[in-house]
Amino acid sequence: MPFETYRIHEVPDDVLAALDYCYEQGWTDGLPVVPPVTDRVEATLAYEGRPPQAVIATHPATGLQLSVHAAAVNAVMAGCLPEYFPVLIAAFEAMDKPQFNFHGSTASTGGSAPLLIVSGPVADDIGMNADVNLFGPGNRANATIGRAVRLILRNVFQMIPGISDKSTQGHPGKYSFCIAERARGNPWPLLCEAQGYPPGVSSVTVFAAGGFYNVENHGGNTPEQILGSVADAMANYGCITLGQSIVILAPEHMRIIADASWSREDAQSYLFARAKRPVEGMRNVGKYRDSEYDKQHDGASHPLVELGQFHRGLWPEDILITMGGGDAGGHSCFVPSWSRGRGSIMQHKPIGVCIDCC
Amino acid sequence: MRLYDPTSSGPQRTLYRAAAIANLDGRTMGVLENGKLNAVEMLRELAALFEAHHGCTLRAVYSKSNPSAPAPAGVLAQAAAEVDFLITGLGD
Repeated sequence: MPFETYRIHEVPDDVLAALDYCYEQGWTDGLPVVPPVTDRVEATLAYEGRPPQAVIATHPATGLQLSVHAAAVNAVMAGCLPEYFPVLIAAFEAMDKPQFNFHGSTASTGGSAPLLIVSGPVADDIGMNADVNLFGPGNRANATIGRAVRLILRNVFQMIPGISDKSTQGHPGKYSFCIAERARGNPWPLLCEAQGYPPGVSSVTVFAAGGFYNVENHGGNTPEQILGSVADAMANYGCITLGQSIVILAPEHMRIIADASWSREDAQSYLFARAKRPVEGMRNVGKYRDSEYDKQHDGASHPLVELGQFHRGLWPEDILITMGGGDAGGHSCFVPSWSRGRGSIMQHKPIGVCIDCC
Repeated sequence: MRLYDPTSSGPQRTLYRAAAIANLDGRTMGVLENGKLNAVEMLRELAALFEAHHGCTLRAVYSKSNPSAPAPAGVLAQAAAEVDFLITGLGD
């Protein structure tokens, strides 16, 4: 589709007027956007090998499609540099997988936001932050890639608050929720390696995230103490479900775990076994359901599942755990899955390459 | 200044609606519950109103395990073959 066939808006040659125009069209997330001028969009498209009209994702309920071109327009509006574009493309390819359920996760009263975790060399290549203030503002790549996701959900897929986005409260991650996995000092295989990608290939993991819980522990000195506090956060009555979890360990906490030679699998099993609530407690807060308990305790249940207890998730592999953040501070985090149950399962895709496209 | 439009430019879908039922009296109905808390109970109450007011018959209760994804195609096909109309829900 030639560029001249895409819809163009002619606005006065004044940046502030163009900013206001974007607001008037309803194209923003409440913050000013970069006006999507044609030459910047075309420069962004140069970082994707497929033609502009290629479809990256299709909304399962409405049939609305995300083209490479529309993704580039929204990437410019978010403030992305062209070299960030492959990450954004890969993220939506991952979200397009049926198991991610991006309609439900973005329309629900649960108010989740897609959390992107970028793993591998591309994080350094494009200057992402995996360090101090990991989830906070200040890094262009982290901030704008995450923001582009939200702009696409609004502008392309029309997930508009109050109309098709029925979030009761939402959370700040709906502005931007994108981090890089920390490789420096990480004792475990990076996610891109654990996910099975060839050496040198980076990946993005997408997760319908319900919120962010800081887990503070400055007194624990053993893996059991550190992960015990994480497990307690994971089991809070406000979010315990059969859903998945993300745990990002601060380097201080990871050092304690690594010094004891615990593997990722050791940590996952420990967390799964302890992130639980008794059935009576679940009943007391009105969150017990026979069908969910049965699903966790049926014949295929994991050996760590305990009778009379409701665990978070179905098995240890439901817990993605890695490292991120600054060197100082005993502050890790737990990110729960969207709302109740297993309505969305985290997905991942390689960045900038096609592994299985034969 | 020339700005590209950021909204979807994909093909317009043609949407179809099922033909309206002219008269509910004596019809068979089904319930499609979406797994949410109290969905079955609420929808059965609603079905009882159709039974009382229009002499409808509740033929079947269908289920889907994911409330935010479309019902499996097989479930909808079965319902279409077995009942005249379907009541579904719930939201939160």
